[in-house]
Amino acid sequence: MSDASAIDDLPGELMMWVLIVSELLVFGGGLLAFMAVRLTDPIGFAEAQSHLYRTGAALNTVVLVSSGFLAACALAWRRTGARLKARLALVAAAALGVVFLIIKGAEYAGKAEVGISYETHPFFMFYYLLTGFHAAHVLAGVFLLLLVAWRDQPRNIEAGAQFWHMVDLVWVLLFPVVYLLA
Amino acid sequence: MDQSLNPENTSARPTRRLTLAWATLIALSLGAAVLTLLMLPAKVTGGVMLLLALLKARIILAQYLELAHAPDWLRGFTFVLVLFALTLFGLFLI
Repeated sequence: MSDASAIDDLPGELMMWVLIVSELLVFGGGLLAFMAVRLTDPIGFAEAQSHLYRTGAALNTVVLVSSGFLAACALAWRRTGARLKARLALVAAAALGVVFLIIKGAEYAGKAEVGISYETHPFFMFYYLLTGFHAAHVLAGVFLLLLVAWRDQPRNIEAGAQFWHMVDLVWVLLFPVVYLLA
Repeated sequence: MDQSLNPENTSARPTRRLTLAWATLIALSLGAAVLTLLMLPAKVTGGVMLLLALLKARIILAQYLELAHAPDWLRGFTFVLVLFALTLFGLFLI
């Protein structure tokens, strides 16, 4: 396989894949740093982690993979010419992104109520940094999904959906490490 | 490859494939939730959690991001993700 054909094999725009790989490297580096710093205080990290709202985070996994499903269906439907169906699926995917942010906001509010901040423990510094940066991507993704629902050329929807799946992919890797690996 | 020109995408097959992928992702997420209730040794739970996360990541790459159409890239991404998960697990075990 030549280099040219290898690049051509990638679905969608090459620049979206550059973005996806860049984001995976950033979050991957963050998660490795999190696990490395945990070695300095495993008991403190486990204790801090026990304060997290795991049920909400698990629910958010279901919300995000379902939203990703709708975005992927939107692209499939748009390719077959079902424009209205595709647009509705994109709006529904964006709405689930908002649900994710509401659950995340409730989680942050719960932490603030009991006086937990990023200064409480190094665990929480990583927690806010990684989940906050991810939530910023979710917010950007919601706007992007709505944008491509409006400007609904197949290549636009493909790029928007790819960004959204990247956000989904990061979450399924981030969730077990930050919330469950005590 | 321009998926909009792929004849396979003009049938109902893509959404059936996506529905199966979504159902599997939900099942794996429920599996992870059940695992936390089983009170298994932390090392076992941690290892299985990472394995479930890897499976979910691969489904997203293959089906949602359509790398199933580019098997060489899918293998490459999977290889790097497996190395990443093994490194995380190694750090977890120390």
